[in-house]
Amino acid sequence: MRLSALSIPYGAVITAARLGWLLVIVSFGSARVPGAGPLVAVAVVAGALALAGAYQFARWRRFEYRLTEDTLDIDSGVFSRRSREIPLRRVQNVDTSRNAVQRALGIAAVTVETAGGSDVEADFRYVSEAEAERLRAEIGRLKRDRGREDGSAGAAEAGATAADEPVEEPLFAMSTRELLLLGLVSVDLRLLSLFSAIVPIAAPSLAREAVDPLFSLAIAAPLLAGIVVTVSVLASAAFSVTNYYGFRLSRASDELRYERGLLNRYTGTVPLSKVQSVVLSENVLARRLGYAALTVETAGYAPGDSGAESAVPLTRRDRAVELAREVEPFGEVEFERPPSRARTRYLIRYAIVGLLLTAIAYGIDRFTGLSFAWYGVAALVALAPVAAHLKWRNLGFAVLENHVVLRSGFWSRETTVVPYYRVQTVIEGQTLFQRRRDLATVVVDTAGSRGLTGGDPKALDIEADRATELRETIADRLQASLGGHQAERRRTRRSELLAGGDD
Amino acid sequence: MSDGDGSRADDTEAGEAPVPDGTTRGPPADDTATDRTGRATATISEAATAPDDTSPASESPATGDDRTRTEPLQPSDIDVAELTGPERSLEPAVRLVWILRAAVSALVLGTVVGAVAAVFDLPLWAGPAVFALLFVLGAGRAHLRYESWSYRVRTDSLFLDRGVLTQVRTVVPYVRIQHVDASRGPVERAFGLATVVVYTAGSRGADVTIPGLTPERADDLQERLKRLAIAAEGEDAV
Repeated sequence: MRLSALSIPYGAVITAARLGWLLVIVSFGSARVPGAGPLVAVAVVAGALALAGAYQFARWRRFEYRLTEDTLDIDSGVFSRRSREIPLRRVQNVDTSRNAVQRALGIAAVTVETAGGSDVEADFRYVSEAEAERLRAEIGRLKRDRGREDGSAGAAEAGATAADEPVEEPLFAMSTRELLLLGLVSVDLRLLSLFSAIVPIAAPSLAREAVDPLFSLAIAAPLLAGIVVTVSVLASAAFSVTNYYGFRLSRASDELRYERGLLNRYTGTVPLSKVQSVVLSENVLARRLGYAALTVETAGYAPGDSGAESAVPLTRRDRAVELAREVEPFGEVEFERPPSRARTRYLIRYAIVGLLLTAIAYGIDRFTGLSFAWYGVAALVALAPVAAHLKWRNLGFAVLENHVVLRSGFWSRETTVVPYYRVQTVIEGQTLFQRRRDLATVVVDTAGSRGLTGGDPKALDIEADRATELRETIADRLQASLGGHQAERRRTRRSELLAGGDD
Repeated sequence: MSDGDGSRADDTEAGEAPVPDGTTRGPPADDTATDRTGRATATISEAATAPDDTSPASESPATGDDRTRTEPLQPSDIDVAELTGPERSLEPAVRLVWILRAAVSALVLGTVVGAVAAVFDLPLWAGPAVFALLFVLGAGRAHLRYESWSYRVRTDSLFLDRGVLTQVRTVVPYVRIQHVDASRGPVERAFGLATVVVYTAGSRGADVTIPGLTPERADDLQERLKRLAIAAEGEDAV
């Protein structure tokens, strides 16, 4: 199979546009040269387009792909050629994206992800929309066939008809209200709080200089802060609306499918059998309003990929939990909190930070010309107990039958549900200060992508004995779940087969 | 050359290995298991270093030899109990590697401080003093680090316990092992040491590193982990 022929002109224009700055320089330069007019500029532009077109044509000629029974084979490359075979069983995600221009042309970019490597494993730029849909459906179908009875010819034959396409069961569609709320809620609060902390400190010193022209600054500062808030709210609202417009999530046998975007339209599949963990995140605002976001982690995505946001951007909390259970059927969660001496630890830590900041502020006030109400910073020390309590209150972990649930964070609280059979390693750490208070931290590492960004799911500052116990419990349950999980998967496959036969 | 190293490895093998009684997950006949492990270890490492050399001194049971040569390895062929072992520490020589590393960084910083002192007319002993201080701290840390390090090849997971200021204990289930590397850097080679690195699909995969083993121990550990991983025979690791 080949890519869509439309990808040649489209790719050429995109490449030429990327080189646009070069063309501008050249055409301006040529205007200076006597005897050369706009004709040269036109020639340069045409030349660049022709060159890009030739390259895109060569790329199109070289790019060939084939879906076999159990692999996806791709031959590609203009200068260095590459032929790649991707076992379908290893495919994690299939995503398509179409921007406005691509939609007008009826083409789409398709990416196929496996767990290995940081790059996208197969990048189809671009195929027709129908072909994109066919690729997704075929990969899904072949994977299901492979997954069923490996090598059983009967199943493959029975599944060869298009009627095998499983029924899509809608799980979630985002309402306009949720979309607007998302815009409001997704404002980066840390940035805002930083700003609102600076304003009252800076304001009194400026106000004292009331006669000075500096007085205008005293008005300008809050005004500026106000503007920043408004702009960031508007920007994040615009971002969330364009990104998540028309968000829909549905389930088709063993896959989740999502669809979203206003200008750029994204669709994709997440195989449920590859889900590493489910994360429920609620930032401070969302929590107040009783809303939460849901992220489903697979091993395929690199951090920050658009696909990583593939679950539910925002919905009512109970609904989010319900959806999470749809993906990972976990039971009632009763959180265990760290002992209260952990809170003392945070109190001391925050108080020290507050004192340090006060000392720095005093230093600035004393030793530089800049004079301001440095004692205002001391208020931060008074806030330490509140901050410590809030941090402590939002910590927690729960050991369930098939899952371990870990929760942390005040500004953005994340509750991670990890099935035992997805655990890669368990790490128990104890710093010098933790040892003094007989506390420890347990990190549960999965193959999910989030770990790379630093947000490992962990049980922070729990009782040291409990940590050791937790570490061993998780490791033991992993062993126990391995056999059980395999058996369960075989069972569901069989029941699916039977259900398919009835239809 | 391998003879000398081998005997040293055997010495440590016999010297340490105090089996803690009433360990939570060990088999009931712990002492005999250890005994067997000690010998099995020797067998595998010999087979790994010199596969064609049938040394007469080998006290290994014939079955063990056969097993190393069977290809491909079947999960059912592997006796897990034979491969597991008691808690082990690193080779004492690893301290020298760490001390050397501390000396290098102390030297760099000491030189920088010395140069700054020379330029700004500060007391000239600042450089050597910084070097001495950092070196002593580094050496102390190296020693404590060595003391804190231990690993254990358990029935279904590898367990590591290490760290001076931050104590870290890691459980690596064998099912999750992707591959195992045994590596020897130039400094390690100079001290007759090797490192084993265990990779998992987790985001912290490369974290699982066991330094300071003799080459024989490293090869043996690599082989054992490989077999245990095969025996665990997981579904896809991701």
